[in-house]
Amino acid sequence: MTVAAGIGYALLALGPSLSLFVSVISKKPFLILTVLSSTLVWLISLIILSGIWRGFLPLKSTTWWPFAILIFSSVAFQEGLRLLFWKVYKRLEDILDAFADRVSKPRLYLTDKMQIALAGGLGHGVAHAVFFCLSLLTPAFGPATYFVDSCSQMPFFLVSALIALAFVTVHTFSMVIAFNGYAEGNKVDQVFVPSVHLAAGMMTLINFASGGCIIGIPLLFLMAVLTLMYCGRMVRRRLTENQRQGDS
Amino acid sequence: MESSILESIGQEIIGVMSPVSICMLLVVLLVYSLSSSNPFSSAPIRTAANLVYLENPSDSAGQKLEGALLNALVFVILIAIVTFVLVVLYYYNFTNFLKNYMRFSAFFVLGTMGGSIFLSIIQQFSIPIDSITCFLLLFNFTVVGVLSMFSGGMPIVLRQAYMVSLGIIVATWFTKLPEWTTWALLVALALYDLVAVLAPGGPLKLLVELASSRDEELPALVYEARPTLSRNEGNRRSNLGLLVGGVSDSRSVELQAVSNGNVHGDGSQNGRTAVEVRSLENVEGERNRDEGERSPLVVHSRERYSSDSNSSDYSTVIRTRESEIVVDEEMSPLVDMLGMDNEREQVRRDDTGNAVIASRGIKLGLGDFVFYSVLVGRAAMYDLMTVYACYLAIISGLGCTLILLSVCRRALPALPISITLGVIFYFLTRLLMEPFVVGTATNLMMF
Repeated sequence: MTVAAGIGYALLALGPSLSLFVSVISKKPFLILTVLSSTLVWLISLIILSGIWRGFLPLKSTTWWPFAILIFSSVAFQEGLRLLFWKVYKRLEDILDAFADRVSKPRLYLTDKMQIALAGGLGHGVAHAVFFCLSLLTPAFGPATYFVDSCSQMPFFLVSALIALAFVTVHTFSMVIAFNGYAEGNKVDQVFVPSVHLAAGMMTLINFASGGCIIGIPLLFLMAVLTLMYCGRMVRRRLTENQRQGDS
Repeated sequence: MESSILESIGQEIIGVMSPVSICMLLVVLLVYSLSSSNPFSSAPIRTAANLVYLENPSDSAGQKLEGALLNALVFVILIAIVTFVLVVLYYYNFTNFLKNYMRFSAFFVLGTMGGSIFLSIIQQFSIPIDSITCFLLLFNFTVVGVLSMFSGGMPIVLRQAYMVSLGIIVATWFTKLPEWTTWALLVALALYDLVAVLAPGGPLKLLVELASSRDEELPALVYEARPTLSRNEGNRRSNLGLLVGGVSDSRSVELQAVSNGNVHGDGSQNGRTAVEVRSLENVEGERNRDEGERSPLVVHSRERYSSDSNSSDYSTVIRTRESEIVVDEEMSPLVDMLGMDNEREQVRRDDTGNAVIASRGIKLGLGDFVFYSVLVGRAAMYDLMTVYACYLAIISGLGCTLILLSVCRRALPALPISITLGVIFYFLTRLLMEPFVVGTATNLMMF
């Protein structure tokens, strides 16, 4: 049950991203590079945040408001970074288009742009899962397990894997929504992404209450499903619009 | 729907990164599975890398630092001497001796070091196997390895697999060094690499220049991302078009882009459907021979190449109104830029503006594999979090080096950027990030 449990937790958190990676990303080298660089960006943001918060650690685990400030500041910082990421991507897109012209190949299709955004989001999500869930999983490969006081119904590893799965989904697809929102200048999309991120972050605060994870995790998954549906509707709308333009 | 450029860009970079990633992953797995009850890990081994000072857990930090620095210094001096001897031997054309020496050392490494790692795996997982079978398997593994690395006619995949496994074996041994010595050694090697490849008179620089002026393969263990076409055709025009890496002895450090000597240009002058194929004969690109083939032939030859070479190595021919444009799929903007600057003939006929380029491969020294993996393996002994951080840092460093490679168009050391980033990220992760992440995650706070 030891190695099997560890692998199971890891797959629970990263299984969907893994299949996304194999089926979409791994065929196009450029997307792999995008995933890697966006993972690196997320890692750097985490290091900077932890550098800022290092002086205040360890936070007392009896009061909840320092954690609220921490999550708020982190989300704000990461959303700022997303804006920066978009700027860089915009320049990259121009370079790619210019290059495509030079080798007389078609310019980037709409689906290509969406795939790049997906790869960027997947990088963020994978980085989240890796650092918050996978790196704490090492003891799960051993013979014991671990419970936290506030959530005594499930092992800690299972809870963190579930939370990581929700966050991977939110991160991956909110990047697609955000990039599309920036490209179209759509204010609703632009506001939707940070608010979902912030709401998801704040919902983890519910875990603070004793037995709160019973309520917190379903809510978190609700956010993930919401992001997924929003993203799906948006992509379908863009694709049909695009097709109509192509026909006319 | 025509294929978009997303599918072609970055193929070479991935071609180098994936074996490096596989090597690191396997080293980490080996370190993890063997570290628990490893017979050697308790008793530190005596190698060339810790001649001066044997680390003792009870020593003070100052003593450890001093000893580690001394160890690193001695090791780097040893490597420098060995490399200089190698260069001298190569200069006086002892090529056969060098080749046999390399065969012997590869045999030795695969046989003894690999054998002892296999033994500890067998012990760890209690695999039931008798000694005769084990010996026979090991012998076969070793002989096939030596043959595939040093003689032609073997599938390139086998050759690449053995290169990676050689890297894994050496790296697993290096992870048995004590902690402080490992860090000092890595930093020292990165510095040495920088000097040896870039400084005038640096041994690796000399070696690369010698090899390219003689039009020969580098006398070292080098991982090739892709087979060069000239080898596939069985002809020995292995022109090192762009040397972008240094080289050394078996612990070498090199990274080079190789243009295979067939630069396909097309000049659609005055609307004629004539395509000229020019092949760049040597590094300097001075004696280029104008073969002046007609376009059907070019298409033909390109098609033949594509059938010869493996799937990643193909090209398309796009017919336009006036001319045949031979477009190689593997160009990245950077590579293209480089080609434009570098190959004079292309500059001469830039009035056509049609893209062209020979297929190129990137070569990475085995030493880079080894020391990247040593860093990651050392990080694996602390925690998984440091492993991921170091992996990302090293891969991004490698990416930066590859980009620099296409800008500088010369041999570049692959260790310095990656190792520096790796070491910085290791300590940042260990000192800053770990308490933060563990503190929030154990309270089930995430964002």
